[in-house]
Amino acid sequence: MTVAVPPAGGGGLPGRSSGSGLADVIDTILDKGLVIDAYVRVSLVGIEILTIDVRVVVASVDTYLRFAEAVNRLDLASQQQGLPDLLSSAPQSIARGKSKGVAQGVIEAAGEKLQDMLASYADERPAPRARRRTREED
Amino acid sequence: MSGSTRQSGTGDRAEAPRRTTACYVYGILPEDVEIDEEAVGVGEPPGRVTVVRHGEIAALVSDVDADRPLGRAQDLVAHEQLLDEAAAEVPVLPLRFGAVMTTPEAVVEELLAPHHDSFAAALKQIEGRAQFVLKARYAEQPVLIEILTGNAEARQLRERIAQLPEEVTRSERIRLGELITQIIAAKREADTQAVIERFEPFCDGVVVRDPSHERDAAHVAFLVENDRQADFTRAVGELRSEWGDRVEVRLLGPMAPYDFVTT
Repeated sequence: MTVAVPPAGGGGLPGRSSGSGLADVIDTILDKGLVIDAYVRVSLVGIEILTIDVRVVVASVDTYLRFAEAVNRLDLASQQQGLPDLLSSAPQSIARGKSKGVAQGVIEAAGEKLQDMLASYADERPAPRARRRTREED
Repeated sequence: MSGSTRQSGTGDRAEAPRRTTACYVYGILPEDVEIDEEAVGVGEPPGRVTVVRHGEIAALVSDVDADRPLGRAQDLVAHEQLLDEAAAEVPVLPLRFGAVMTTPEAVVEELLAPHHDSFAAALKQIEGRAQFVLKARYAEQPVLIEILTGNAEARQLRERIAQLPEEVTRSERIRLGELITQIIAAKREADTQAVIERFEPFCDGVVVRDPSHERDAAHVAFLVENDRQADFTRAVGELRSEWGDRVEVRLLGPMAPYDFVTT
């Protein structure tokens, strides 16, 4: 088994074939892999590492407020389409949909109106596969 | 006051700005690996990557300036890219970013030689396998609509927040966000379990990662035999089309088995 390792692209964040971004790289190589300290003590060189912490603090108050804000925007955007009416007038059928726990159940329960609304949201979305937000340094 | 602690000696001041070269270690591979002449790694300018061998194993290393901090975007990407490209061809035990030793000799004497047998055994174990990471994330609007539709408390909070001025609804907004977070966490647990059950037949190992975003539906690393990669990626494609616009599914890899090596 003799294998040639191709060169690593030197600079920047050029199109990586796997389509991963800096945040993905950080998730992987700052957090996983063998920790050399466990093997070596004498010849380690303490080099300063500029870590970029992009880990999201899940379940912080900031997160909560952001979600609430998103729900609020959702309302504004759908006012003319009657989301509030729809939701308050259909609790029974919605409860049924809940047990299915998937979008399909929701749509069945809430009927055409909601279906239309979902469709219009889908249209509004700028891109179907939005890349994850990364706080890129540099 | 002559605190002249001026490196007494040979007056050889051509030694420009003192520069300490150290040896950055990327990962451990079988000794018969060959590295492309042009392969470069971390640092500025990027150091040339070379192979240090001992017995059946080897380490990928490059010179770095020990006085300069590491961790620019390019450094991080260079580290991962080098290992991932190697992992596509040979078994690799990836080191976490930032492993720096004094010299290549020290790499042999303190890293490779003392741990030769366990590294060699680990390389045999992962031979012919690579890691993939599945990242699935709920699309914001669909998941919020799902939650509002299915939860009466969330709907009541939303109405109250809409009716009252923002200054007086802080606690309602926090409660609503907390509720949404909890419901998403429950969905995540269920969807992660579903993902694992679905892909287990194609994999030799599964590691559930912590969520990296509050809307994560699943964040899971898989160890996949090369022969089964095609089946695995096809199954991911099926999942993606099943979930449609509700969940964004990304698959990273093949990459070095970062999640499956343990210190």
